[in-house]
Amino acid sequence: MTGLPLDDAHGGDRFPGFDVLSQSRHWDAATREVVEARLHPDTSLRYFSATEASTAGALFDQLLDQPATGERVPVLELVDDRLARDETDGWRYETMPKDPDAWRRSLAALDADSVARCGDVFCAAGSAVQAALVQAVQDLGDGEWHAMKASQVWSLWTRYACTAFYSHPLAWQEMGFAGPAYPRGYKNLGVDRLEAFEVRDRHPSLDPARDGQ
Amino acid sequence: MTGVGTFIGDLVDPGLAEVRQRNESAWLLTPRGEVDRSLEERMRHYGDSDEVDVVVVGCGAGGATMLQRLARGGWSAVGFDAGPFWDPELDWVSDEAGAHKLYWTEPRVIGGSDPVPLGSNNSGRGVGGSMVHYAGFVPRLHPSDFATLANDGVGADWPIDYADLKPYYEAIEGELPVAGDDWPWGDPHGYRYRPQPVSGNGEVFLRGALASGIDARIGPVAIANGRFGHRPHCIYRGFCLQGCKVNAKASPLITHIPDALAHGVEIRANTMVTGVEVDDRTGRAIGVRYLRDGIEHLQRARLVVVAGYSIETPRLLLNSASHRFPEGLCNDFDLVGRYLMVQGAPQTAGRFEAEVRMFKAPPPEASSEEFYETDPSQPYKRGFSIQTVSPLPITWAEHVASQGHWGASLRARMSDYVHWSCLGALCEFLPQAENRVTLAEEKDSHGLPVARFDYSQCDNDRMLVKAAQEVMETILKAAGAHDVMTIQRYAHLVGGARMGADETSGVVDGDCRSFAVPNLYITDGSVLPTQGSANPALTIMSIAARAADRMLAADPTRTREER
Repeated sequence: MTGLPLDDAHGGDRFPGFDVLSQSRHWDAATREVVEARLHPDTSLRYFSATEASTAGALFDQLLDQPATGERVPVLELVDDRLARDETDGWRYETMPKDPDAWRRSLAALDADSVARCGDVFCAAGSAVQAALVQAVQDLGDGEWHAMKASQVWSLWTRYACTAFYSHPLAWQEMGFAGPAYPRGYKNLGVDRLEAFEVRDRHPSLDPARDGQ
Repeated sequence: MTGVGTFIGDLVDPGLAEVRQRNESAWLLTPRGEVDRSLEERMRHYGDSDEVDVVVVGCGAGGATMLQRLARGGWSAVGFDAGPFWDPELDWVSDEAGAHKLYWTEPRVIGGSDPVPLGSNNSGRGVGGSMVHYAGFVPRLHPSDFATLANDGVGADWPIDYADLKPYYEAIEGELPVAGDDWPWGDPHGYRYRPQPVSGNGEVFLRGALASGIDARIGPVAIANGRFGHRPHCIYRGFCLQGCKVNAKASPLITHIPDALAHGVEIRANTMVTGVEVDDRTGRAIGVRYLRDGIEHLQRARLVVVAGYSIETPRLLLNSASHRFPEGLCNDFDLVGRYLMVQGAPQTAGRFEAEVRMFKAPPPEASSEEFYETDPSQPYKRGFSIQTVSPLPITWAEHVASQGHWGASLRARMSDYVHWSCLGALCEFLPQAENRVTLAEEKDSHGLPVARFDYSQCDNDRMLVKAAQEVMETILKAAGAHDVMTIQRYAHLVGGARMGADETSGVVDGDCRSFAVPNLYITDGSVLPTQGSANPALTIMSIAARAADRMLAADPTRTREER
């Protein structure tokens, strides 16, 4: 399986040849079924309207830096499936609507901001404008955004986006994580000790934290 | 089922034989170490009109322990759980997102100045409760935890003390069982099983602690170092928080439920209890109302035990209002739902040039209780513990995103995962009356009001979190980390129906018996008046085991021989 497009300077290709799915024969049946279902989710959306889907898709691409072309994690489809099944995290802030409604409201609000800024809805705005609009929500912190607390909207967006993206073998692959580990387990424990199927980072000095990215 | 090996094992280890004699659960798994579904298929069934000796609401740490102990005492018992009767091999996955069904995800509302997210972090659903997906750390409380008000002027004093719980700590530690170093803190004690090997994350912690003059130890972890009964050895796959498919990590599903079933307990899974029924004339509980396939039933019982944990237990009591208890069952003094506590649980991560690969091996590896007690030189009371935590990718993304990263910056930092080590603190937040569960306007799918949980920190809480973060940064930097980052979060729930000396200070007494209804008990984390800096599972099980002993002693006429 080829990797997600990500340039080397931003963490791409750190684990050359590491292929998570090539190890799937070592996974148990129940796990394999759950993980493989994520690879090709149903593309017919059940929760988002076409307009909402366009906005949400563009938002996810911004939040997760996914270009429109090449290998992709189907974040929009995975989130839509969650919302259609009302699979929430089991809580909501008193000041926020229920998650599915909060998604609808926040996507409409994002479109409204976009139209106000450039005349186009969010998905039609240029990437730089989209990024600025997203950044503006984050910058509000605990301030109010379209009658919601911006930080709680941010929490909703990033929780759903990250849960979908980092549940995918392609995302694990770019972080050197082999995914399911039952029944095989790990045998080489300790700092700098790898299993035969693990691949060492070829850019150990590429420390995004230090580079101040 | 039994083999020569087991027999010889018993001979060379009399302690193990004693455990088996009082709780055979580990030997009631299949010889391959799987949950034996035939126990469930063959289990006893009671009718609604049968007045069983006891019904237990919730089959987690407190409820399952209670069921096993009372069944051993000869009582007829029915255990209810809103969630499934799990089969780890078929139902659980070695996958982070796939573990979602292990959590209580029915709607709940959170508020207060520091709202506490629920769900994955601190709730369970199904037989085994949240211990199915806890890390597995099982420290004891310290003796000081039982008198924080008397000693430090904060928190509350318990109606029981450490000595009351000690024999139960020892018993449950034998049954889980627990592996770890000799434990120098609190009441010093040892563990039956030697410490587990540590992986990269534990190695970093121990190295950093040593270099900064902080004592840290391996364990205490509820994973035997070796086989235990029919339970297999750990395979160090790192998915403890997603449910242990191996059945190496202890949860009541494998440590107490099998023995309970073998002694005649009926478990009614996928069955939501909607109310405790009290006879207003006698003031006694007569059973519980529950839903099965959408139809309400009443299971009659001589005695009712509620063990739904700190959110659902208060919710059930508040939803069980009656003519006699207009403000909710056992709520004459407005204590139900109050003094609910979480632990402040900041997690600090450090970056190393070497590959730590913290996802390998169980997240619970090593811990330190050096900062557990009140330090007179500090402006705050009580303290915190430090433990290894090893977030998997989704949780790690939350950690990274909490620093403000998104887009390219998030992806770049996530690609650096193998270089990071992560520690977590448990800070003893103080019990406060306004930190509480109430009923929200919103209704669940059964039409019952959902729980609303408000939380606000006090100054002492905030000082502890800051101090704990500084210690974790010190340890990681001493181990060689050049960059650190911290996420603020919470862990565990206790309180909400606390025990007290009398009805004006607690919902239940030291034996977990409610002051208001003589045949109603609460035996879960909600009875804890304070929480220390310890993960609560072991204490909840020990309190339940003690309460069961007291119940059996108070009712000596009911013995196995009588039946």
